[in-house]
Amino acid sequence: MRVAVVTFPGSNCDDDTVRALTALGVSPVRVGHRAQDLSTVDAAILPGGFSYGDYLRGGALAAQAPVIESLRAEVASRQLPVLGICNGFQILAEARLLPGALRPNRQGTFRSAWQTIRVTRASPLFWGLEEGELLRLPIAHGEGAYYLPPGQLAAVFGNDQAWLQYVSEDGLLHTEANPNGSVANLAGVIVGSVAGLMPHPERAMADYLGSADGARLLQAWLSGISRRDGHAR
Amino acid sequence: MRASDVGLTDAEYAEICRLMGRAPNALELGLFGALWSEHCSYKNSRALLRRLPHEGPDVVAGPGGNAGVVRLTDSWEVAFKIESHNHPSYVEPVQGAATGVGGILRDIIAMGARPIAVADLLRFGTDVHSHHLRQGVVRGIGLYGNAIGIPTVTGDLAYSDTYATNPLVNVLAVGLRRPEHAIGASTAKPGQLLVLLGQRTGRDGIHGASLLASQDFHGSEHDSMRPTVQVGDPFLGKLLMEVTLTAVERGWVGALQDLGAAGLTSAVAELSESSGVGATLWLDRVPLRQAAMTPYEIMLSETQERMLMAIDADRWDDLKALADEQEILATVIGVVEPGEMIRLLWQSEVHAEVSARWLVRGCPRREVTDEEWEGFRRPVPRPRVQAVAPGRGGARDLKSLLLDVLAHPDVRDRAFIYQQYDSTIQTRTVWGPEHDVAVLKLHEEPVGVVLSVFGTGQWASVDPYAGAAAAVIHAVSRLAALGAECLGITDGINAGNPDKAESFGQLGGLVAGVADAARALGIPVTGGNVSLHNETAGEPIWPTVMIGAVGRLADAAHPVADVVREAGARLYLLNPAPLDLGGSVVESLAGGASPYSLGPLADYRRALDAMSQSVRSGLVEAVRVVGRGGLAAALVRLLLPAPPSLGIAVTLDEDTDDAKRGRLFNEGVGQWVVALRPTCEPAFLRLCEAAQVPVCRLGAVTDVAALSIDGRVQWTRAELLAAWRPLG
Amino acid sequence: MAQFRATVVVTLQPDVLDPAGDATAQVLRHMGYRVADVRIGKSIEVRLEAEDRAEAQALAHKMAASLLANPVMETFSVQVEEL
Repeated sequence: MRVAVVTFPGSNCDDDTVRALTALGVSPVRVGHRAQDLSTVDAAILPGGFSYGDYLRGGALAAQAPVIESLRAEVASRQLPVLGICNGFQILAEARLLPGALRPNRQGTFRSAWQTIRVTRASPLFWGLEEGELLRLPIAHGEGAYYLPPGQLAAVFGNDQAWLQYVSEDGLLHTEANPNGSVANLAGVIVGSVAGLMPHPERAMADYLGSADGARLLQAWLSGISRRDGHAR
Repeated sequence: MRASDVGLTDAEYAEICRLMGRAPNALELGLFGALWSEHCSYKNSRALLRRLPHEGPDVVAGPGGNAGVVRLTDSWEVAFKIESHNHPSYVEPVQGAATGVGGILRDIIAMGARPIAVADLLRFGTDVHSHHLRQGVVRGIGLYGNAIGIPTVTGDLAYSDTYATNPLVNVLAVGLRRPEHAIGASTAKPGQLLVLLGQRTGRDGIHGASLLASQDFHGSEHDSMRPTVQVGDPFLGKLLMEVTLTAVERGWVGALQDLGAAGLTSAVAELSESSGVGATLWLDRVPLRQAAMTPYEIMLSETQERMLMAIDADRWDDLKALADEQEILATVIGVVEPGEMIRLLWQSEVHAEVSARWLVRGCPRREVTDEEWEGFRRPVPRPRVQAVAPGRGGARDLKSLLLDVLAHPDVRDRAFIYQQYDSTIQTRTVWGPEHDVAVLKLHEEPVGVVLSVFGTGQWASVDPYAGAAAAVIHAVSRLAALGAECLGITDGINAGNPDKAESFGQLGGLVAGVADAARALGIPVTGGNVSLHNETAGEPIWPTVMIGAVGRLADAAHPVADVVREAGARLYLLNPAPLDLGGSVVESLAGGASPYSLGPLADYRRALDAMSQSVRSGLVEAVRVVGRGGLAAALVRLLLPAPPSLGIAVTLDEDTDDAKRGRLFNEGVGQWVVALRPTCEPAFLRLCEAAQVPVCRLGAVTDVAALSIDGRVQWTRAELLAAWRPLG
Repeated sequence: MAQFRATVVVTLQPDVLDPAGDATAQVLRHMGYRVADVRIGKSIEVRLEAEDRAEAQALAHKMAASLLANPVMETFSVQVEEL
């Protein structure tokens, strides 16, 4: 399976993402922001970081890169699986490949912490990740408050796009478990073959790092792709 | 232009004329002013620093380079160093702190190492303005570290009014490099091209080194003298880091030097002097951000995110292509020459001609006699009367006293700060800022780097020598608690105006304390930083030294716990200290400040070895170093993250209330609270006895979810947590 | 007393590096625009009461100088309109 790790100037979680995929038995290919042709890859990850310094708005400048148009075309033509992590999620939202926007955290400061996440809707994109499952993953972002324009929240939930939510350690959904002011505690959304989340699964790859739940999430994504495409892995 | 305009004395000016055999022109005088500043020349501290121990079996590069380097494994070396950015952070806290982080990261990169961690060591006042400064500084550190992708994994923070108008912002960075990628500034060869990489040069921070960092701060009346604030660009810093490290890995780089204080002047002089070469610079080729900058401004600009590289001419095309790919500027601005003269050309005309040796080594330095040094090594005698007199926390009952100690700004939880720092990026963080030390596991090997940082407080204000020695012991004690070997330490010294006898004495005391403790413990000091002139309106800060200790941990994925795990475990205090509250949080709560003399340094080494050996022998279930807030705070920290059903019951041997308080709240260094399985108890006691290290039995871990002392005073875990981590 | 709206535009001083402006300019160039320079600032709208326009202007100027702009690195301009 060919998984592209798409980097922009200022991406800084690309090495961690490549390492995580390698640990799961995939040999990722690095693809730069000027890439025009993604026809030979089976999936793409936009890793975290501060593309273009997060200047102007997180992800806004990177969303103008040529590779985004290539991604858009592949998503439209063959439902290329795309996963945006943290800044990658911001880029996908700025590129309108995912709904909504990521605004500065409610508290006005960067927030780095371990956070419990609940799988709100199971998706065939993540095979084996069950509804209601809890994952412990790190978050690290300054602009992670998920925002939806008035009226869109019901649509996101109604169309099974609400994928992950921030919850308390015992799995309860309440305001105090919301680390950044995201609407409805949303930590990740899925539209078609495109998924985005603020937490960092690539940093939760072993118990000694605090959790191996990230490995579980990424493995589920790879399994989903394999099953869909009929790849032998 | 006069000598005093660039911060030089008449005597220094005379020496410059003597060296040159003529009077310098204005540009040349500017170069001397920058490099002969306290900040660049260490003219008041070099003779002291020379007395620090620098040798060790694992030392690869000691002081003198951009950072110290120690051997971690056969395939990895660790570069690390501390730096201060005190005055810039007072002027503009966000950018001052951000550029401090950027600067120390480039020091690490200049050794060919990839930065893997940052630590922040901060001191602030207690007033409202200090609160804003702290918020800005924390934001600035995160702004740079988070964006460039280096985790901030540990830190040290304390408060005192002494820092109200002169906060301390010291930043430490750690990097990893392969031995074959070792590089530095000292290997440039004649004929090589000098390439300037990164940001266009602007009028940022001109005179930052000579005036801002090397003279006392007088408040706002000197506004017009303030240099243009330097702005950090972590985005460009990231690109510059990648280009530089890639060029190093590909073997293209002959020599490397970052641009920090005194900008291009310092970079070209350091590179030339340490390589034993000269240089010609074509200043009209330096890419500028603003039109009409003069050679003087170009040479003294402190624009951030720049690197100077010496490369063979046939590597230029490769380097240029790499820089173009990353969209950063690379410009040939000069050439390495034989000899030692640095010539600055502007449109083929020589504007300055000075020897690199004069610039770097010519500055007259203050000497320190053996007799003076011996004077610095004397600790302030401890008062004969035990310092647990009434009034020193004696007025409060024990129950509320512990809660006050836990809520003290120097003791309480720091999550509100460290949660603003990305601590998990790069996926090496086994232990992050919620622990007393950071543990970073290599990706390729089971081995890890342990980083422990600690700075002095009130103790050093009344006894700089003992306080500094104690800080070294304390930082290293935390490595011993994991059974890690200490490979080296870096010291960040912050003191007042060295021209005043009292401040110079304090500086000497700090250095002597670090030197004696490091020597006694057999630990090399591989480099550091000295920040002087930390005074406002004639008032110096407390003399403060910040210590960063780097250790090697064999099995980094499984550090011994710092939290109790099972009821029934026995608790011991290893190496109990005298019952003296000098320099403690309890003492400061009561408004006191008295010295607390150290024991014989050799005893601490024995205790560190015994602690380390107990852990490596697998005898220890959990351990905490006694630190700020004393034994009592250490017990609380050992308990709070434990499973909710557990508690701790302690019975103290001391018979009076005062003595009990002395036991619970003294902050003598080199003490550990150790939790053992009962089956391990005999072996542990034998080990301590053989090592001649005293232990005292404290009590046990219970299944009553509370901390109790002598069965008389009890705190629920909720009470302890609420004091230590207040909501909001 | 009358109601005014003061618009305070805060920008970096001309000599101060603007990394965000530089990065934005670079991307605009990649998008095909012939851009010489981008400087990013912020616009702050304050609704306030004052006796007259002159007082509103003076008050807004004071707010900008003391809080809204950081004189160490920023400059500002103030425009006032009556509501």
